[in-house]
Amino acid sequence: MQFSVVAEPDQSEDLRLGDIPMRQEVELVSIDLPVELAEPLLERGVLPGCRICPVRSSPGGDPIVSIDGSLLALRRETADCLCVKLLSSLQDAG
Amino acid sequence: MVALADPCVSCAQHRAHSLVRLGLSPDRWDYLIALAGNPNVGKSTVFNQLTGLRQHTGNWPGKTVVRAEGAFAHEGSRVKIVDLPGTYSLQAGSVDEEVARDFVLFGRPDVTVVVVDATRLERNLNLVLQILEITDRVVVFLNLMDEARRHGIAVDAVRLEGELGVPVVPGTAREGIGIPELLTAAHAVAKGERKTTPYRLERQAPEIDRAISELEPVISDAFPDVPNTRWVALRLLNADEAVQEAVRSGELGQLIHDQSGTEVLDTPESDRLRVLDSATRLRWELPPDFHDIVTEHAYTAAEEVASRSQKRGLAKAGFTFDRKLDELLTSRIFGFPLMLFILAVVFWLTIEGANVPSSMLATLLIDNGHTWLKGLSVAAGLPWWLDGFLLDGVYLATAWVISVMLPPMAIFFPLFTLLEDFGYLPRVAFNLDSMFKKAGAHGKQALTMSMGFGCNAAGVVAARVIDSPRERLIAIITNNFSLCNGRWPTQILIATIFIGALAPPQLGGVVSAAAVVGIALFGIVMMFVSSWILSRTVLRGEATSFSLELPPYRPPRVLQTLYTSIIDRTLIVLWRAIIFAIPAGAAIWLISNVTIGGVSIAHHTVGWLDPFGLLLGMNGVILLAYVVAIPANEIVIPTILMLTVLVTPELAEQGAGAGVMFEEDSLATTEALLRAGGWTLLTAVNLMLFSLLHNPCSTTIYTIFKETRSLKWTTVATMMPVFMGVTLCFLVAQIWRLVTI
Repeated sequence: MQFSVVAEPDQSEDLRLGDIPMRQEVELVSIDLPVELAEPLLERGVLPGCRICPVRSSPGGDPIVSIDGSLLALRRETADCLCVKLLSSLQDAG
Repeated sequence: MVALADPCVSCAQHRAHSLVRLGLSPDRWDYLIALAGNPNVGKSTVFNQLTGLRQHTGNWPGKTVVRAEGAFAHEGSRVKIVDLPGTYSLQAGSVDEEVARDFVLFGRPDVTVVVVDATRLERNLNLVLQILEITDRVVVFLNLMDEARRHGIAVDAVRLEGELGVPVVPGTAREGIGIPELLTAAHAVAKGERKTTPYRLERQAPEIDRAISELEPVISDAFPDVPNTRWVALRLLNADEAVQEAVRSGELGQLIHDQSGTEVLDTPESDRLRVLDSATRLRWELPPDFHDIVTEHAYTAAEEVASRSQKRGLAKAGFTFDRKLDELLTSRIFGFPLMLFILAVVFWLTIEGANVPSSMLATLLIDNGHTWLKGLSVAAGLPWWLDGFLLDGVYLATAWVISVMLPPMAIFFPLFTLLEDFGYLPRVAFNLDSMFKKAGAHGKQALTMSMGFGCNAAGVVAARVIDSPRERLIAIITNNFSLCNGRWPTQILIATIFIGALAPPQLGGVVSAAAVVGIALFGIVMMFVSSWILSRTVLRGEATSFSLELPPYRPPRVLQTLYTSIIDRTLIVLWRAIIFAIPAGAAIWLISNVTIGGVSIAHHTVGWLDPFGLLLGMNGVILLAYVVAIPANEIVIPTILMLTVLVTPELAEQGAGAGVMFEEDSLATTEALLRAGGWTLLTAVNLMLFSLLHNPCSTTIYTIFKETRSLKWTTVATMMPVFMGVTLCFLVAQIWRLVTI
């Protein structure tokens, strides 16, 4: 499992959480934020390798994601800094 | 028959024998328990279970921002317990994290109980591991086991205990399950009867370990009493500003001195600087991504420990109801209308429900009580001035405050607390976040705003949950735009008399409620506007990133909510109102009865203020009342009524004498009185606006000063709303007069 807090720019990780349609579960790859901004997310369980799923958006258009069984409200800008990858169909079953 | 475990053990009656609750007398103790944990995991509930105190608990993160202390006796030992603010980590990013960390680090608790949410083990273990780095006297309380079961999560407490090397007690604090076992474990660890072997993170990179062991002796030379040099070393290598500052100022040694009471010599400056220099030098030798390595390592460790001690996905039940409800309450279409609707229902119930008990109390305390006391004083032959001062001034003011304020508060606060307990407030914060973001403020400002609806001073303190100093200051300065409970009764009364009366009688209550909601919303708009202006002028900056956990909905505990909201909020607020009403009543009686040149001081002042008042669409009486009411907004209405009687000639014969707070047992007489005093719809509207936009009460002003430590910002926070209120009332009055003439 690749565990990197800060994204490496040469990686072809273009998919961001902000692009994921509602109710599609994805895996978090890395957090493209300086560590002091990433820290509050890590503390709330947003860890590379975890499953994350946008479930709804707020009246103002910000996403609510389900992660580790709990709901977390993010700002759109933050969601655009979360690099994710799609789950293969085998993993999806879990 | 199967032999069951002794049922008495889990019963409150049984526990009462071993646990004598002492309430709040934490001055002498045999050992000290610190209660730590993530936000919203039920620390305050555990605290209440242990101490028997009814500390206010609420279902939203960041409820406890200051530490609460209590004491109880357990098996002959006096135990002091400190409830720390909930934090996700000990990095000291915000004030509440700093409070929690300083206490665990420097307060030297005999045992630290970490309350852990069993449904979110990974995240919670991160904090546990950080605390284990600092101290080995730890007991983990695995709370919310019932919720975990509902959500199909099984946690193996025995396995977890083996992993962490400290006692792990599973339980459900809300029902008192696991509390006796927690006490036994905490007692054993505090007394040293149970030795722990805490899980310690191994450093991955040998160069990090080397740097730490090089720095440790330098720290213990400079600060011989610091309990955990290894941790301090790691924080210094991490360039943790709070710890660096504590070393630079010598506070690191001083904090221990404060907590233990023993004499500690000040560390010489040269030693302190040597510590910082060594840390800076060693930091250069570390790999550049050192901070990432340490952070990553900590989270991986927490994840591994968690995954080894739990089984998930046993059942999918539980979340569906929450999801459905959230889809409604935070929906794009229904989110805002539902918020307004819920708010309006709360006010409507308050307005409709308070009428009858209010007039009953007025009859009892004012009509009957005052007459009876007057009779007594005549029989006792009290001199007229003493009788007037005590009965017409002090007693009537108090009676008025009780009969007008007690019924609406006894309805409003429990309703509000039920919403809070249920978990609705974070949804409100979430709905409003996009607007706060546009205003350049922090999303959590919505939480401090909600606290402000109860009490602005509380809202100002609650701003500690915001870690960016700029955004925290904005939240503090603009909190006054949340209508506080001292102002609700004014709004409700005036809306009922002047605005509700415009509608047909059967709709009066609804229209009044709508007017009050309108003013409250206007306050929120003003909060956005002023936050926006501040963040673009004197407090310039971008909104920082924001993430907020939406807690699961929890069934509100109706009886406990009633009890705590009556004790915590209603009676405390009422008591405060009475404390301030007594001197105010006395002052009003005095200025009405002390005369200069045959005319009372009150008359002079009102006459002098009248032109200004009229310019603002109000009158001199209202302005004087606001000056008298600076200590407490609650007494604005009684003061206005009394002064109106005094300065309106045709009413003067009606009252029992000058400076007597007039007897108002029904809304109709209040209305007649105010109309005779020259009141119009404009007066009412502007009074409602001015009640929203004027200086905070003196308690709030003092709290702002305590929190900001800045005279400048306290002045801004005090004067800005007055300025806005005066401007707005002036404009409304001028436009109103142009349109209606």
